[in-house]
Amino acid sequence: MTEFLAATIRIATPLVFTALGGILSERAGVFAVGLEGMMLAGAFAGVITAFLSGSMLAGVAASVLGGAAMAALAAVATTRFRAEQMVTGLAINILAVGLTSFLLRGLLGHGEAPTIRVSPLAAMPVPGLASLPVLGPVLFSQPVLTYVALVAAVAIYVFLVRTRPGLTLRAVGENPAAAFAGGADPLRVRMLAVTCGGALAGVGGAVLSLQQVGTFTDAMTNGRGYLALAAIIVGRWMPFGTLLACLLFGAADALQLRVQGLRLPVSSYVIQMTPYVVSLAMLAGFGRTAQLPAAIGTAFARDRPSS
Amino acid sequence: MLGITKSYGSVRANRGIDLVVPPRTILGLLGENGSGKTTLMNVLFGLVRPDAGTITFKERPLADHTPREALAAGIGMIHQHFMLVPAMTVTENVMLGWDAAGRWLRPAAVAEHIRTASHRYGLDLEPDARVGALPLGGQQRVEIVKAILRGAELLILDEPTSNLSPPEVSGLLDVLRRLRDEGRSVIFISHKLGEVLAVCDEVVVLRDGAVAGRARAADTDRAKLARMMVDRDVSAPIAREEGAPGAERLVVADLVASDATGVERLGGVSFSVRSGEVLAVAGVDGNGQAELVDVIAGLRRPTRGHVFVDGADVTARGVTGRRQAGLAHIPADRHTTGLVGDMTVSENLAFRDCDGPPFRRGPWLDFGAMRAAATERIARFGIRAGGPDVAARTLSGGNQQKLVLARELTRRPGVLVAAQPTRGLDPGATRFVIDEVLAVRASGGAVLYVSTELEEALVVADRIAVMYRGRFAGVMRRDAVDITRLGLMMAGALTESPDAAALYGRKAR
Amino acid sequence: MPPASRRVDLAAVRALAPPLLAVLLAFGVTGILIVAAGKNPLLAYWSLAHGAFGSWDRIAVGLNRATPYALTGVGIALCFRARVINIGGEGQLALGGLAATWVALHMVPAPRPIATLCALGGGVLAGAAWAGLAAGIRLKRGVHEVLATLLLNFVGLLIVSEVLQGDLGEPGSGFPQSPLLPAASWLGRLVRGTDLHVGVLIALAAVAVGHVALWRTPFGFRLRILGASAPAAAYAGISPARALMSVMLLSGGLAGLAGAIEVLGVHYRLIDGFAHGFGFNAVAIALLGGLNPLAVLPAGLFFGFLETGAVAMQRAVGVPTPLVAVIQGLTMVFVLSAMGLTAGRRRV
Repeated sequence: MTEFLAATIRIATPLVFTALGGILSERAGVFAVGLEGMMLAGAFAGVITAFLSGSMLAGVAASVLGGAAMAALAAVATTRFRAEQMVTGLAINILAVGLTSFLLRGLLGHGEAPTIRVSPLAAMPVPGLASLPVLGPVLFSQPVLTYVALVAAVAIYVFLVRTRPGLTLRAVGENPAAAFAGGADPLRVRMLAVTCGGALAGVGGAVLSLQQVGTFTDAMTNGRGYLALAAIIVGRWMPFGTLLACLLFGAADALQLRVQGLRLPVSSYVIQMTPYVVSLAMLAGFGRTAQLPAAIGTAFARDRPSS
Repeated sequence: MLGITKSYGSVRANRGIDLVVPPRTILGLLGENGSGKTTLMNVLFGLVRPDAGTITFKERPLADHTPREALAAGIGMIHQHFMLVPAMTVTENVMLGWDAAGRWLRPAAVAEHIRTASHRYGLDLEPDARVGALPLGGQQRVEIVKAILRGAELLILDEPTSNLSPPEVSGLLDVLRRLRDEGRSVIFISHKLGEVLAVCDEVVVLRDGAVAGRARAADTDRAKLARMMVDRDVSAPIAREEGAPGAERLVVADLVASDATGVERLGGVSFSVRSGEVLAVAGVDGNGQAELVDVIAGLRRPTRGHVFVDGADVTARGVTGRRQAGLAHIPADRHTTGLVGDMTVSENLAFRDCDGPPFRRGPWLDFGAMRAAATERIARFGIRAGGPDVAARTLSGGNQQKLVLARELTRRPGVLVAAQPTRGLDPGATRFVIDEVLAVRASGGAVLYVSTELEEALVVADRIAVMYRGRFAGVMRRDAVDITRLGLMMAGALTESPDAAALYGRKAR
Repeated sequence: MPPASRRVDLAAVRALAPPLLAVLLAFGVTGILIVAAGKNPLLAYWSLAHGAFGSWDRIAVGLNRATPYALTGVGIALCFRARVINIGGEGQLALGGLAATWVALHMVPAPRPIATLCALGGGVLAGAAWAGLAAGIRLKRGVHEVLATLLLNFVGLLIVSEVLQGDLGEPGSGFPQSPLLPAASWLGRLVRGTDLHVGVLIALAAVAVGHVALWRTPFGFRLRILGASAPAAAYAGISPARALMSVMLLSGGLAGLAGAIEVLGVHYRLIDGFAHGFGFNAVAIALLGGLNPLAVLPAGLFFGFLETGAVAMQRAVGVPTPLVAVIQGLTMVFVLSAMGLTAGRRRV
């Protein structure tokens, strides 16, 4: 059981980073459909840099840049050029898959898929707390990025609720005209939000490649970006709710890995479906997507009303 | 403000207006649609630059300023459409864009400020309430507290009572009195005489871009103000035959409807229009005219009531059913509703009738028939367009409206509902529209003509009704028009119930 | 020909200009990447083209690949015209293949072409039903159709995986796939000796029908009005709910048909993951085609041949195949940006 809980937290970590990044973007009014691509870009940048430089820290830094770069492309397209947000996110995902696989082969493998190996980040037990029963191995013997994830959740919450820039960001997502009347530049705010969100998603990718497996394989995010999107929905666009949702989804994933051994009557595929079904049920059940940031998906133009 | 002049193209919105607001005064700015009130205030607030004139505020000149600078100087504007975030609390909305609230937000401190101001001015605001859950009056008070906390000494309120229920109106007037007693001044823009006389110290009436009259509230009465608001030459320049109205063609019974946000806008309207008759609906915009037209035309469901066309109950039938019953509709907004700008002229002429002959043959659209019909109508209505295949948005405003008319009138409608049909048109196009409307009348149709332009209504109508707050304040026959009475009805002075005085907090005159 | 339809075709051609530029720009940027990888971009593109068109065999494979793209793309283009975004194509396609497999396996005694037709029909129904489900959720519960189709997309794919583990699976094959389908249900070959199957004709027919429906029928007229201006559509008495449901059913049915064609014409069995990439790429193709069904065809061909040529490009020049996804993604971003800029000036 402890192993199950610890695995849950481990599996949820990349989701947490990515979902937190998505919250920044969506709260500012931009659909975060491109999280998958930003995560993948971060995973790639992280492991390549760590491999080439030998430094994990450099790898994590690179993952931030990788995710942010992908996000910047989406940000410019959707705010400056008013491209349709959801479909641009899809384009980013397609692009990221191609770009990362291509660069992997082109830069390192001389045309073929090389195998890169980096020793994954080890668990860092917190002295003292790690020896607590149950909580010790579950919560306090995780690798460093997992701790960072939990801190990040708190930080994002504080940012959104307790700081002026956070207030402005939320206003841009709800009613950009009101934010504009208050002196903010909605386009700039959105671009920053999306890019920072991408940076966080990049770290989420680094968790995958640097902390969990120690290598990069084609399209290794495997839909986690979309799961993060679902987590944001279930978590009602709030950091702590989303954190819980990520843990829930992590538990589902941990469960389906163990189900084969346990011979439960439920198939692993059905378990994999639950995050999506639950999100859909939440959206449908709470009627009329009332908790969505009100201005999400709309373009903001100074001289005409939002469309 | 001295000598303020502002023109938009050929429209002279402000013609040399002088306006002086002393401290500790509530000044009422009265006028109909298009009288220049909003432009004048936009100039004051820095949203618009005047062509001529000077502004002095607190003995310092104010020129070429932006709204931020106006705010910094101490002028606060409460718009008709609030700049609030419904999902956030009152405190958060106040903190938005307010630099004094700091980098790290201190909601507790701001909430305290809100509570203090709320107590001082009788605003009754809970800092932790969600703005979206507040009634419109409450949201307005959030805007007021925002202005007060930012140090506004002159508050401009633009038609502040248009969305308020009567108890909310009296609440607002109390707040304004308290603001004045605490040393601030207020400019109260309105078209509603009762409220203006109840709360203002001075009144300035604008008409057609110029000052039509000034008075101290204590020295004037409604009749005088109404006259100043609407005084004009009533003689009709257009010859019209005396009609002998026939059977009732449009009957509306007890219509009650709300707008998109759920606020009730039609409070029980009943009337009928006969064959060969034009019923004009006058009144200041925002008193329910849009909802009335939408319900009759089938674009909005009423909460209660019925619409009958030639005896048939079309209330539940939708747009297509009404069209089949012979109801034509010229919408107020030709750009986004009446026409599809990116489509061609011939497509626009057909897009309400694409499901039957002559534009549909079997499963196909008959483009040949569409083009033929378009060519014929272009000629008949004198539409200046490059041909049936040009995009509708390339036409001038007047020709676009001719296009809409061509589509609606070709079928010889039994009932025509025209909403603001001459808005934005030059005199020639306006004349054309009026002629066509009168032609429908001459051929036995019934016309409901909704317009904020009183002159037009007087020219076209056999009877004039005035809408105020979702009801008909009164209906007048054309030959018995009393301009003062019309003005009073438009300004809401003739529908009072006996306890209106209590509502306004002062003795009504 | 009446001028109205001639004008339509001219407008269709003119609408291709921004997508064409986007493609060229994408190739340009990708060329830079190729240089960064140490290869010659011109050589790479030449071998790409050669790999796509070099032989009849290659062309056949490219056409096969373009078929599901074109089919799904037409449906999505019609959706976009009515301002409906359906990104669940992959799930609808997969379920279409599933239904076709089920029908084919259970209709064993039936002869050709009845078995094929029934299987294709099953695919259409399954895809339409899945899209209709998303539409229903949107209409009844107000959930944005993007989220509904996206979430159902994954559920649909998992359903297919699940079924392949159980009833429809072929035990002992070591891979999640169904048993080989009876030959009576297979799609026939169009050209003997090549892989080209009849599905290509179906795709062509769908493109033609889509074009005609959009530009020549009252139904298409209503879609275009809805997409141009919601208030004008209400004024014209068009029901947005009815339009949304019809266009979703239509696009779902087309996606399901595409899935059935893949199963019956290319793989001859249901293979886990066969639908991979079709849904999102079809969105790209619809956009590239400027939301014009006719233009979806060249866009689909572009994607199809791009993918077949990529293998040859890798073999000949050593440029990795994922480059194709780079071109596709960049093209999408550029087209979307162009569309965002010119919104309101397009032919409706």
